[in-house]
Amino acid sequence: MNQTPNSETIREQGAQRPMLNVEVSAHGTTSNIKHRASNIFWRILGLIIAGIFIYAGAIKALDPVHFASDIDNYKILPWPICVALAFYLPWLEIFCGFALVVRSLYRGALSILTALILVFTLATVAAKVRGLDITCGCFGHASQNWSFPAHLATNLAILAALLALSFQSAARRQIAN
Amino acid sequence: MRSSLVRQVLILLALALAPGVGEAVYFRHRISWQSAVLPSELVTVDQARTWGGNVIWVDARPDEEFASDHVPGALSLNEDRWNELLPQFLAVWSPGTKVVVYCSSLSCNTSREVARRLRREAQLPDVFVLEGGWEAWLKKNR
Repeated sequence: MNQTPNSETIREQGAQRPMLNVEVSAHGTTSNIKHRASNIFWRILGLIIAGIFIYAGAIKALDPVHFASDIDNYKILPWPICVALAFYLPWLEIFCGFALVVRSLYRGALSILTALILVFTLATVAAKVRGLDITCGCFGHASQNWSFPAHLATNLAILAALLALSFQSAARRQIAN
Repeated sequence: MRSSLVRQVLILLALALAPGVGEAVYFRHRISWQSAVLPSELVTVDQARTWGGNVIWVDARPDEEFASDHVPGALSLNEDRWNELLPQFLAVWSPGTKVVVYCSSLSCNTSREVARRLRREAQLPDVFVLEGGWEAWLKKNR
């Protein structure tokens, strides 16, 4: 079997081509894996945040009387508004939580929850500055004995997660566009 | 893009309204929109009188107002001197006794706060807030 240099070159090239393809495909696979891992991470983070708000909302919706009293403890709003918020806010948290789970009205839910957690955090800090000894009320009876630092740290962690999810959602939309 | 975000926010705000209103109707007898005190924790002067000697009256007003006048036999227990006055009150209290806390008028909050602290911190049952406060008591006893 005589082989001409040309045919050898062709064979070498032919032998190299599949190797290049393997490299491209390996690079693509790594990128896909990274992309999928990143998607899974954001999805899990979204579900955790959704779970937190659904749980917090459900616990407060079951005992709006207690929640009204918790809001009143902040001494910021008149009592009738505390009552109205005690009936309304838990359901808003629940609906926004479910919106994050099903990824429908996603950006709206993220915006509302970010605004809510910001208000809660500011109210907590304001109460501390005014020397009020308050129970946070965020998770009903479960959070009754939380210290101020624990309360603040939880709020800030949730706020950071919400902001990260918002930025990720915005970046994703930009790529899609 | 911005209008879509606003639309999403408005839809969620509207969605939460329906169950919120439903719950407000369901809990209408368990919470008062006028006062932070539950209807079951409020007591009128006439009701408290029917309890006879089984009642401790607690004056949640500041010391000067208590010194000026108070319900006969009432004990002073205000938030300014809470740590000092609470042991004196607990020394008089006995199980089964009802506690009626009052402050100046219908609009004051201190009786509610003192009642709340007695329930939470001292773990006392049967703590009530006098509807209308000291003004209501005066009206009935003039």
